[in-house]
Amino acid sequence: MKKKILVANRGEIALRLIRAIQELGHAAVAVYETPDNEALHIRTADEAVWLGDGPRCDYLDIDKVIRAAKKTGACAIHPGYGFLAENPDFAKACEDHGIIFIGPPSKVIQALGDKVTARKIMQDAGIPLVPGTTSLAPGDAGVAEAVEFCRNHGYPVMLKATAGGGGRGIRRIDDEKQLKAEIPVARDEAQAAFGNDAVFLEKLVINPKHIEVQVIADQEGTTVHLGSRDCSIQRRNQKLIEIAPSLIPDQALVDRICDTAVQAAKAAGYFNAGTVEFLVDKDYNFYFMEINTRVQVEHTVTEMVTGIDIVRTQIKLALGKKLAFGQDDVKVRGYAIEVRVNAEDPQNNFMPEGGKTVAVYRSPGGYGVRLDGFAYQGYTIPEVYDSLLVKLTVHGFSWNETVDRLRRCLNNFVIVGPKTTIPFYLRVIDDPDFKGGDFNTSFLDTHDYLLEYEDFTSEGNKLAHLIAEIHYRQQNPYAV
Amino acid sequence: MERIVHGMSPSEALANLRQADGYYVTNTARDLSQSDYKNRILLHTDLLAAPAREEAGFFSLEITGGASIHVDMLRKQVDPFLKLELLREKMPNTMFQTLCRGINLFGYRPYPQNVIRMVVSEYAKYVDVWRVFDFLNHVPNMVAVFEEVQKAGKILEPAVCFSTGPEHTDDFYVKKVGEILDVTGQEIVLCIKNHGGLGTPKRIGDLVNAIMQKYPDLVVHYHGHNTDGNDVGRITAAVQAGAKIVDASDHAFSGFYGPPSILSAVNTLNEYGYQAIGLKEEAVVETSEVLRNQRQYYDYFESQFKGFDPTVQTHKLPGGAAGSSFEQATKGGFLDKMPTILHDELPKVQKELGNYWSVTPGSQILWTTAVANIQAGDRYANASWDLKNLLLGKYGPFPFYQPADWIYEKIFGSDWRQILEKEGGMDQIEDMDIEQERRDLAEKLGYQPTEQQLVNYLQHPNDAVAFFKFEEKFGKVYVLPPSVLFRRGGFKLGETIQFRDHYGKEHVVEIGPKQHDETGTAHVYLNVDHHERRYEFEPEVTESSGGAAKTVQLSKQEIEELARSGDYRAPFGANVCEVSVRVGDEVKAGDQLLILEAMKMQTPIKSEVDGKVESLAVKVGDAVKPGGELVTVK
Repeated sequence: MKKKILVANRGEIALRLIRAIQELGHAAVAVYETPDNEALHIRTADEAVWLGDGPRCDYLDIDKVIRAAKKTGACAIHPGYGFLAENPDFAKACEDHGIIFIGPPSKVIQALGDKVTARKIMQDAGIPLVPGTTSLAPGDAGVAEAVEFCRNHGYPVMLKATAGGGGRGIRRIDDEKQLKAEIPVARDEAQAAFGNDAVFLEKLVINPKHIEVQVIADQEGTTVHLGSRDCSIQRRNQKLIEIAPSLIPDQALVDRICDTAVQAAKAAGYFNAGTVEFLVDKDYNFYFMEINTRVQVEHTVTEMVTGIDIVRTQIKLALGKKLAFGQDDVKVRGYAIEVRVNAEDPQNNFMPEGGKTVAVYRSPGGYGVRLDGFAYQGYTIPEVYDSLLVKLTVHGFSWNETVDRLRRCLNNFVIVGPKTTIPFYLRVIDDPDFKGGDFNTSFLDTHDYLLEYEDFTSEGNKLAHLIAEIHYRQQNPYAV
Repeated sequence: MERIVHGMSPSEALANLRQADGYYVTNTARDLSQSDYKNRILLHTDLLAAPAREEAGFFSLEITGGASIHVDMLRKQVDPFLKLELLREKMPNTMFQTLCRGINLFGYRPYPQNVIRMVVSEYAKYVDVWRVFDFLNHVPNMVAVFEEVQKAGKILEPAVCFSTGPEHTDDFYVKKVGEILDVTGQEIVLCIKNHGGLGTPKRIGDLVNAIMQKYPDLVVHYHGHNTDGNDVGRITAAVQAGAKIVDASDHAFSGFYGPPSILSAVNTLNEYGYQAIGLKEEAVVETSEVLRNQRQYYDYFESQFKGFDPTVQTHKLPGGAAGSSFEQATKGGFLDKMPTILHDELPKVQKELGNYWSVTPGSQILWTTAVANIQAGDRYANASWDLKNLLLGKYGPFPFYQPADWIYEKIFGSDWRQILEKEGGMDQIEDMDIEQERRDLAEKLGYQPTEQQLVNYLQHPNDAVAFFKFEEKFGKVYVLPPSVLFRRGGFKLGETIQFRDHYGKEHVVEIGPKQHDETGTAHVYLNVDHHERRYEFEPEVTESSGGAAKTVQLSKQEIEELARSGDYRAPFGANVCEVSVRVGDEVKAGDQLLILEAMKMQTPIKSEVDGKVESLAVKVGDAVKPGGELVTVK
């Protein structure tokens, strides 16, 4: 029966979700704030509900979203990533209003969102963890506890907000003096950012690889993994390039990590799609980090190598279907790389280019190329949202083929108007360490020279610049 | 008879020349470009012509030197060394020839010895034949270049500048040749440099004859200009009298002020029984077939006034300066005074200033003095810095006589004798700290310069740096044809431009729309190699909206009055080539504030009052219009 499903998000992920909903023969309901007036997700959806002037408050307004679902008769809500996706109150509100939340139950979100609780669950299940504390006791007692931990395990450590996530609320501590000074600051910040001042410590794994595993479980508890991803190339804990599967040569180790992820999901009583994140140190020890209870930005690479549509599966599972495949059915073929094409100036500290209009937009195509974007020629990028314009995902049978395909696509991608991360990615993918799979989360810090590229560097572009000048000035100003 | 080719030693080449039963031809592409196209013929065009020119079998292709090294960087944005490398690839056998101004090298005023030696040795790697001259025919001014050319194993071609008048006797020139041979020895080619195209065929024939009588083994190379339309006559007389090499140019590009067409001279001499050795007439014709199609793109740079000018015999403007003089008169709004300047004032100034040779930089001094005399209505009232230096003997001694006392008095005041006594004579120019210059250049560029970059920087510091930065931004633009680089009025929408870049990649650029946004910024869209590109241009600063060089209509009197009150304005359109003070500096009357340069002439602006520098409206490299603000002293 045709159902209505509300998409509580914007940008590329809203379009991604709408596509899956429509492919399943359902109707998609979009929601939007005023700055997104011109956004493509509104035009693509079957219906759209205006939430308010925003910015970034109406998309986060649980009541308004629930009302929009009620008003349009939507039976389910897909939250995407960000905004309300990992807010247990939202999942709870859906449950209370009899709306299907496409994701795990609110209790699971609650438990896994609290990092200390999550650590406890994993510890009990025998999942390897980075040495760490529970939430520190309030006041000086907590400081004393922290000092004691560091004396036992050594520095550096990470001071994290218990309620934090997505790379926010994390600071590195190198000695006791700094530890004592930073704890109160971190508490204040956590209170301000997450409404919860609890913080905890974790031993810092120096320059790890960031490896994560896509898991998916149905309501009967059947849980499978869809293989690994490497998301080590990050800028200040924000992922830029994601690869499936991991390039770690030891396949047995990768299998162990994947099995551990399934074990972790089961321990958490997980349902629907999620991601189990691990750190892998230079000696190939791996440690559980966290479970993301949502669809990830980088889910595309997993889809490309497994052929499994994760969002479609999410919806079907949420609507009560059982998993249609078992672990043995999941086969990883070749490699996929996703780059996040952001409207940012990499050479100006990745400053967002919001407010600019996309004067020309021409995307690459061809075999093994996938685009998840929402920009179009003439689109003015709102200044109030994130800077992701389009995710370019390429698939190839070998690693080299995949990198070659990505280079070709980046070279053929034409976006005029805002500056983008494309020229920077072109530099990254030609770096020998990248090509050799020899990278970890320190890649950008140790390869900062990759930012020293010149825009429009080709000789053809330079000469064209002079032609443009001769054209504009009506004569060659350098010749007279 | 044997063709003389690149790679022959000077003695081998000279042996061939001495035994030659006939004469050789030099293709003066550079001088033709200078004289009839304001030096704008592009490397792109010379590369098109290169295969046919190579085939033609010239003694040499005169393709570098004179003002061309400066103009290559300043107006054509081509590396003067790269130009020679690229031409060499297409012309493996033809010798390349340069024109060097002795102590003034490829610039406009004397350089230190160590700079001269470095520049010559670097260019000698590419240049086979070195024509060297001094506008006062003062041999010591050329010695450093002579020595370096001989050291490098290249053909040295010292020139005697030629002019006419009662002092310019065969006797004088034969003695001058003797002075040169005393320094160089016999293994040279001697050039008779007739840059104005002066004298009759008989005069030139007599002169060559006189020189040959005294020095029968000397190889004489006649260089002339066709300003009066009669250089073929002079070439013929020179060869009849024994000259072994003559200068001429491709007929498709021949104009009025450069050397005459090759084939006209060759055909004439054929009739008299003189053969052009090694010359293939079909290849000369072929060269012009290639060039003919290109001429239309240089239209803008041809002389405003077309037609031969037999009155050159009176005003003696060198061919290389004729076109630009008319251009200056047009731009300066004194075109109506040109008859007076050319026929009365300039000949008068020539005689008054010693009847020396009107060629760079001496020709600029004569010309600007004549213009200033007419413009001011008061002769010698506005003496340029260079005129003062000439009168003080800074360039060398006057060849025939010193200008009259009244001129000195008018220019230097009543104590002119003391000034001449104290400051007169050539300065010993201190060697430059080349390593310091190298460091300065490295700092300006942000990378370590090459020897070639340094060599060009030492001669033209501001313009060389501007060129290097231009190339970083726009690439190697010599690959673009004149139809693109010299396009006026913009391109047509949808027009496509195809070219192969320096590194060999083919490109296609399609012209897209042009838009202005609300801030006035223009956006030019191009489709470059099938990719849309957008180029932004800030709106040009109009005069009403201010900017560094504000222009106000001021009379000469007003400018002088303002100067007396400490407000210095540009007395003429010029470029700022040096700023000698900073804001806040204390200055005294007579202190130099800055130096302006126009028409290769520098003019210092000196304070007329004591005070403090209050403001500076310009920086080095700025162009100022007449009346434009420069500096204020209060």
